[in-house]
Amino acid sequence: MAKKINLEMSAVENREMRLGTIIGWDGPASTLVKESNYIERSQRFEGIKTSGCAGGCGSKKACKLCELNSPLNQQTMCANAIVECQIGNITDCILIQHAPIGCSGDNPWFNLAFNMGLSRRNKPPQALKIYSTNLLESDMVFGASDKLRRTCRTVFEREHPKAIFISMACATAIIGEDIDSIADEMENELGIPVVPLHCEGFRSKHWSTGFDVSQHGVVRQIVNKNPVKQKDLINIVALWGTDYFTPLLKPLGLRVNYMIDMASFDELRQASEAVATATFCNTLGSYMATALEQEYGVPQIDAPQPYGFKGTDEWLRAVAHVVGKDDIIEDYIKSEHERVLPKVNELREKFKGVKGFVMTGSAYAHGLITVLRELGIDVDGSIVFHHDPIYDGAGVHQNTLEELVNTYGDIKNYTVSKTEAYQLSNIFNRIEKPDFVIIRHQGLAPEAAKLGIPALAMGDEHIPVGYDGLIRTGEIILDIMARKKFNRVLSRHIELPYTDWWLSQSDPFLLSHDPKALDKVVPLENSVDYEDELDEAV
Amino acid sequence: MAQTRQIAIYGKGGIGKSTTTQNLTAGLVERGNKVMVVGCDPKADSTRLLLGGLAQKTVLDTLRDIGEDIELTDILKEGYKGTRCVESGGPEPGVGCAGRGIITAINQLERLGAYTDDLDYVFYDVLGDVVCGGFAMPIREGKAKEIYIVASGEMMALYAANNISKGIARYAKKGGVRLGGIICNSRKVDREFDLVNAFATELGTQLIHFVPRDNEVQRAEIRRKTVIEHDPQAAQADVYRELAKKIEENENFVIPKPLTQDRLEEILLEFGLMDL
Repeated sequence: MAKKINLEMSAVENREMRLGTIIGWDGPASTLVKESNYIERSQRFEGIKTSGCAGGCGSKKACKLCELNSPLNQQTMCANAIVECQIGNITDCILIQHAPIGCSGDNPWFNLAFNMGLSRRNKPPQALKIYSTNLLESDMVFGASDKLRRTCRTVFEREHPKAIFISMACATAIIGEDIDSIADEMENELGIPVVPLHCEGFRSKHWSTGFDVSQHGVVRQIVNKNPVKQKDLINIVALWGTDYFTPLLKPLGLRVNYMIDMASFDELRQASEAVATATFCNTLGSYMATALEQEYGVPQIDAPQPYGFKGTDEWLRAVAHVVGKDDIIEDYIKSEHERVLPKVNELREKFKGVKGFVMTGSAYAHGLITVLRELGIDVDGSIVFHHDPIYDGAGVHQNTLEELVNTYGDIKNYTVSKTEAYQLSNIFNRIEKPDFVIIRHQGLAPEAAKLGIPALAMGDEHIPVGYDGLIRTGEIILDIMARKKFNRVLSRHIELPYTDWWLSQSDPFLLSHDPKALDKVVPLENSVDYEDELDEAV
Repeated sequence: MAQTRQIAIYGKGGIGKSTTTQNLTAGLVERGNKVMVVGCDPKADSTRLLLGGLAQKTVLDTLRDIGEDIELTDILKEGYKGTRCVESGGPEPGVGCAGRGIITAINQLERLGAYTDDLDYVFYDVLGDVVCGGFAMPIREGKAKEIYIVASGEMMALYAANNISKGIARYAKKGGVRLGGIICNSRKVDREFDLVNAFATELGTQLIHFVPRDNEVQRAEIRRKTVIEHDPQAAQADVYRELAKKIEENENFVIPKPLTQDRLEEILLEFGLMDL
C-alpha cells in the first residue's frame, strides 16, 4: 500500500494537495457530503485509481472539489501563526522564528492562550517559548544564516531546551534560507534535535496546514524511534482544552498523553509508545494519528468523534476494542447514559424551540452541532473555516460531516468560509436569526454580538466532549442566552462599517457569484460623505 | 544499486553550459546510463537538444496554468534515448522572483517523485550567476554533491568561475558538495588550454576536459540535436563521449580554493593576455 504521508521530506505536503481542502463553498451540508466523495477519495489513498468529479465542474482531474473564489479576504491567519501556537507551546523546547519581527505579532495573544491552557492542565504558568531572528533589510540582502546559527547557540545557552524548532517565514523562504542544512549543522553541534519547519505563509491557502507542519516536525525528529510500548497510554491530539479525556478514559485503564500544546519534550517523545492515537477533532489530529500509525504502528481510532451519545458510544467502543476492553465497555456506556440522561433531559426541556448557530473549524463544528442537536437545539446554519473532503486517516468511520448529516439530518445553510466577518450579516439575513452563536475564534464572537445575537467564544474546546460535554455545553448556552437583552441593546448602539446595500444582501458569496456587483453599487458615495465629514472636522 | 549521482553545472552566462550538459548527457546515455536533466534557468532552454525543440512546458508555467494539482507527466518529458527532461522555467523578465521559482520547481519535482532510484545521473543546468539563495537550491543538502564549472580562456568566464568557487567553498564547509573540475568550452583564446589548466590547478581542482570549438556543435544545434545524435561519426561526438567517460570515472572531488582578484589577474597576464 502506498504511504499516506511522506515523512522523507522535511516540508509537509500542503493540505489542499493532500486532501483537496477548500475554503469557499455554500449550500446544504448533504450536497457537500455528496460532492466530497469521501469513499472514492479513500480508495485513492489506498492506491486504487478512480476518476471523475462529483461536483460536476467537468474537471478531468480526479475529484477536485469545486469551490467559490472570493475576491475579498477580510482577515485570516497563516501556517506560521499555527506553528507559533503549536510548537511555541511546548514547555521545554524553543521555537526560533527565522523571520522579520512582524511575523511574531501574534505572540502576546498566544502567550495568554498558552497560560490558560497550562492552568487547565494543572501545569505551572510560564512564558511562551519563542525567539525571533528579527531580520532586517540587510539580512534580506546578504542572507541571514549566520544570524540563525547565532540565535540557535544563544537559545541553547540561555534556555537549555530539549529541542529547538526553526520556522520559516515568507521573507526567508523567498530569499532561499536553507534552514534544513542549518538545522542539521546545529543538531550536530548542540547535540539536541533541531527541527526545520516549512510554514511560510504563502505556502498554503489555509492556516490548518500549519498543524500538519508542526506535527510533521514532531513525528520526524522528536518521537522515540525505538519505542517501548506503554500499554496504558493513549495519545490525544488536542489544543488547549481542559483534561476531560482522563475521566472519560480512566475506566478503560488509560492514561492520556496530550499533544502538542503544553506537552513537554518527553511527552511528545513517547507518542510512538502509546497504544492508540485519538483526537477531539479530525481536522487537527488526523495527520499526526496517521503518521504515528504508518511509522510506528500506533493505531488511530477509526470512529465518529466523541460528541453526543452516539458519537461518544462508538468512539469509546473503538478505543476499548483497540485496548482489549470490549468486555467492560457496554456496562460503562450504559451506566454513563443513566448518569447523564436525567440532566440532559432537563436541558432538552429548556431548549425547546431554541435555535443555535455554529462557527468554528471544520470537523470540530460537526462535533459541536451534534451536541446541540442532541440537546434538541435547532441548527439550520453553520460556518466552517475550511473543508477537508477527506482526512489523512481516511477511516471508514471518520467521515464526520456525513456522520452528522446521516445521524442528525441536513444543515440547510452550510457555509465554508475563512473568518470573514463581513459575511455574517448576510448569513443572518437569509435564515431566521438564531438565539445564540458559538464561535471558536474569539475575534469573531464580538462581531456576532454586535448583530444582537448572544455569542459564546468557546475558548475551551473540550467543553462539548463526551457525555458530560452535553451538560457542560447546555449549561453554558443557558448562561449565554441570558444575555439576550444586552446584545439587543448593544446592536442598537453599534454602527457596522458596511453600506446599507451590503447589509441588505442575503448572499454571503455575492462577490463570488457576481464579481461585478460592487462596480454597480459603489459609486463611491461613502467617500464623498467621508470628505464632507473631514471638511466639517477641519 | 549505485546511488544516483546528482551533478550541478555552473558557469558564466552564454558559456555553453546547456550545450555541454546536453551533449555530455547524450554521451552518458550512450554508455547505458539513465539520466534526468533539470533546467534551472527561466529561459528554459536546457533540454532543447535532447527533446528536439522547445516544446516542453516548464514546471512553473504548468503551475501557473493549471495550479498545484499537477502530475509528473505534465512536466517531465522523455527525450533522446529515454532521457528525462524538466525545465523549471520562471517568471517573465523583470517581475517576480526567479530564485524562488527554482526552489518551488525542485520541491514540486521531489513531491511528485521524479527522483526515482533507477536514475544514474541527475543534472542541474543552472543560470549563469548564482545571484541569490534560490540559485543555490541545486547544491543544498541532499541534492547535487558534485559541481562542474564550464569556463573558457576569456577573462570574464574565469572571473565567474572563481566567484562560483567561492560559493561552493562556503557550501562545502557545511555539507558534502564538492567541485569535480572545470570543463573548458573553448573560445579559441590564445594558449587557452594552458591558461584554464593553470587556473584549475590553482583552484585545487582539475581541467577535466577541453572541448575544442567546432562548428559541428552549431550544425547540430540548429537541427535541435546533440552532436552525438546528429552525426555520431563526427570528431566532436567523440569529444563529448570522452567527456562522459571522464565524468563517469572522475574521483577527484575537492573543496576549491578561490583565487584573490590579484592572483587571478596575474595568471591571466602570465598565460593568456601576454601579447595584448
